[in-house]
Amino acid sequence: MTALTLKNVNKSFGKVQVLHDINLEVEDGEFVVFIGPSGCGKSTLLRVISGLEDATSGEITIGGDVVNMVPPAKRGIAMVFQSYALYPHLSVKANMALGLKQEKQPKDEIEARVAEAARMLSLGDYLDRRPSELSGGQRQRVAIGRAVVRKPKLFLFDEPLSNLDAALRMNTRIEIARLHRTLDASMVYVTHDQTEAMTLADKIVVLRDGRVEQVGSPMELYNNPANQFVAGFLGAPSMNFLPAGLVGGASDTTIGIRPEHIRLSDTGRLKAAVSHVENLGGDTNVLVELADGTQMTVRLFGQHNVAPDEAVSVDFDDADTFHFGASGERLRDATVLATDALQS
Amino acid sequence: MRTSRIKWHIIVFLAPAVLVYTAIMIVPLFNTLRLSLFTEVDQERVFVGLENFRTLFGDPRWSESFWNALGNNFWFFFIHMLVQNPIGILLAALLSNPRLRFSALYRTAIFVPTILSFVIVGFAWKLILSPIWGIAPEMLDAVGLGFLYQPWLGLEETSLTTLALISVWQFVGIPMMLIYAALLSIPDEILEAGECDGITGMSAFWKIKLPLILPSIGIISILTFVGNFNAFDLIYAAQGALAGPNYATDILGTFMYRTFFGFQLQLGDPHMGSAIASAMFVIILIGVCLYLFGIQTRMRRYQF
Amino acid sequence: MNKARRNPFNLFAAHGILIVYTVIALFPVFVILINSFKERRSIFREPLALPDGESFSTVGYETVFNQGDFFLYFQNSLIVTVASLFFVLLFGAMAAFALAEYKFKGNTLMGLYLALGIMIPIRIGTVAILEMMVSTGLVNTLWALILVYTAQGLPLAVFILSEFMRQVSDDLKNAGRIDGLSEYTIFFRLVLPLVRPAMATVAVFNMIPIWNDLWFPLILAPAEETKTLTLGSQVFIGQFVTDWNAVLSALSMAILPVMVLYVIFSRQLIRGITSGAVK
Repeated sequence: MTALTLKNVNKSFGKVQVLHDINLEVEDGEFVVFIGPSGCGKSTLLRVISGLEDATSGEITIGGDVVNMVPPAKRGIAMVFQSYALYPHLSVKANMALGLKQEKQPKDEIEARVAEAARMLSLGDYLDRRPSELSGGQRQRVAIGRAVVRKPKLFLFDEPLSNLDAALRMNTRIEIARLHRTLDASMVYVTHDQTEAMTLADKIVVLRDGRVEQVGSPMELYNNPANQFVAGFLGAPSMNFLPAGLVGGASDTTIGIRPEHIRLSDTGRLKAAVSHVENLGGDTNVLVELADGTQMTVRLFGQHNVAPDEAVSVDFDDADTFHFGASGERLRDATVLATDALQS
Repeated sequence: MRTSRIKWHIIVFLAPAVLVYTAIMIVPLFNTLRLSLFTEVDQERVFVGLENFRTLFGDPRWSESFWNALGNNFWFFFIHMLVQNPIGILLAALLSNPRLRFSALYRTAIFVPTILSFVIVGFAWKLILSPIWGIAPEMLDAVGLGFLYQPWLGLEETSLTTLALISVWQFVGIPMMLIYAALLSIPDEILEAGECDGITGMSAFWKIKLPLILPSIGIISILTFVGNFNAFDLIYAAQGALAGPNYATDILGTFMYRTFFGFQLQLGDPHMGSAIASAMFVIILIGVCLYLFGIQTRMRRYQF
Repeated sequence: MNKARRNPFNLFAAHGILIVYTVIALFPVFVILINSFKERRSIFREPLALPDGESFSTVGYETVFNQGDFFLYFQNSLIVTVASLFFVLLFGAMAAFALAEYKFKGNTLMGLYLALGIMIPIRIGTVAILEMMVSTGLVNTLWALILVYTAQGLPLAVFILSEFMRQVSDDLKNAGRIDGLSEYTIFFRLVLPLVRPAMATVAVFNMIPIWNDLWFPLILAPAEETKTLTLGSQVFIGQFVTDWNAVLSALSMAILPVMVLYVIFSRQLIRGITSGAVK
């Protein structure tokens, strides 16, 4: 069964349309990540799914039921908010139990579920504390616990890690992944951080300006981006784009090449000057500037002795390149070859 | 280190405020407490210890007036707590709905009585409730409740409650605004989390909002207490220094004023006036201490 | 409108309650104002009707202008209010700066001392204040009122302003010090302009109680030439209690200035209260 189906979902605030014809399926047990730059509508989409916002048109189906007219609490969802949104006046235990009490669940059932969630998230020692007495990471776990106890058909996460520091973010990320495996639950997760998207998702949905740009597994999107936007959005450092004319391609097309696929070589096709070097120890990122002013990032494995202002030549295998048309659309190899042939 | 150097600028910055405050507020306050221990004999000030208080609480002519004023004052406060705060909370809760239009307009209009002086408020209501003008009886007639009309301000049984309600009418804007501010400071995400938990409408108010605005309600209560126990102006403007009918609306402020300045045949007595002021001071101090140590420490301020 | 979650009936009911309460809040003011422009018989015959060609009359205002010195009262109120606010703001800001900026022995104690007056009303000390004003010859002068209101306003002003001054960046002040500015210049040139919104809040909070006070004008400055508008209208109405035209006109005259002030400052006032400055 599908956990969530969106059919032609549109959302407008007044005259501004923020979501355009969103179609999507989330399978049972799947971990789906919405990613996109800020303002792309990913959080709005999550709020439409949760019922905190109404869709202007379209159909939302959760666990087989159309829920457009169903209030959030009855949709079978649970949401984890960016700011945790814990009830400040209630203890950790009461925070987790409040939703169940509202559903009029029997007392021992509530106790059992809270205890189970507390065990799973190692919150046992903090059950009687209030949110203000917890650290950021603990608060985040309480927020997740509050979602877990409700046994929802669908978990919704709204940028849950963005208020944590880097180290804690990694731990919590691993914890969420573990939770997903243990509960085998369907989850929708919104983030702008591609590391989170790549590491957590079964399926990534890339959004831009309220439209779905591409849907697919992390490696699919990385290896086979549908367009220049997706290609540039995923991967760090991000993909280099150069006018195809520089290497003999059609003048109005663009070539994309990932930094790790470029090498410095004495016989390289492109002459460049090193403008900056970032030594990361394990990797070295070399920023170079081509004669026409195009900037490129070259990611080299290991440590390299390169100095700014040094003249270098760079090169890459054509097999590693992506070709994009003038409006950013991906040109599949066949078409590229055809244009190449015409040129020569 | 030159820590021993006198930092003149600190003294210069503090001096004006501390001097004015000390000279006009603190010294007279303690002087009033001191004066309550004296009395005047043959135009000489003589120390009599607690004699004035013995008169105030012991002499039936005085004690009757004092207990009457104190009792009235508590009733006055009780009506405020019972009526003003619930109405203030209700209005604030309605205004804080983000979907409500014209909210600023309502807010501004409902706050208007608060900025009017007691003189205006006292006289305006006196005229409206007056049987001579007849606005109140006519309006009641219009809705078929004409038989309910009585000259409320003129009757011993109803005058104090009526004045308290007028005062509530005047000041309801303050709790409304403070609660409104407290409600606005609750983050949307918490209310949305509540919505996902099925807590909406009234239960969102009782289970989430009300516990979070309790500290504000505490502050409003102590402000009301202090304000009520040194109230004077409204009673004086509407009923005069005699706080009629037959002292039915006499509260500590008017009682002290009459004692201090005299009225009709009785001469003013600054020392008895001071004794009453001291009693007011003690009452207010007890109230403030109860709040600070009993209520405020138990109420948590929530960090969102 | 969110169909799934919100009941439009609630919003409708909310408007209903708020409109009813708004009418209750404004009705007395409205009745006073319209009737002040009517001749005597119409006041009694149709108190709720608007003045029309037949019932229109300004006889009440004529009595007020001929019998009462309302212009003088207004001037007194204005002088007292403006002067008191000036001193409250100046002295309050200076003390607040000292408490917020400098670490010195007794800082906390001084803060508590100044905060005492927030909860203890100055009226308790009236007997001794009057005695002092009599002995210094300040009784029946506007200075008596200005001093009392300054003392009354200082505690809350110091409290609010020092909260705000703690938020002014230390780097800014230290940059000033490195540029060789004196502590006084730092206060007047760098800090004061930055806390201007808080000063406005304090001013608006103090303005209305000072303008409307009846107690101290009655006790400290009841002389004809020092009467404030509030006291003046109280006395006037007491004298003309049976002349309804005069009473209604006097009330309207007293309402007018506060309403004008309110219209000008209401946004500031409401923002001040809702910003949590008094929490």
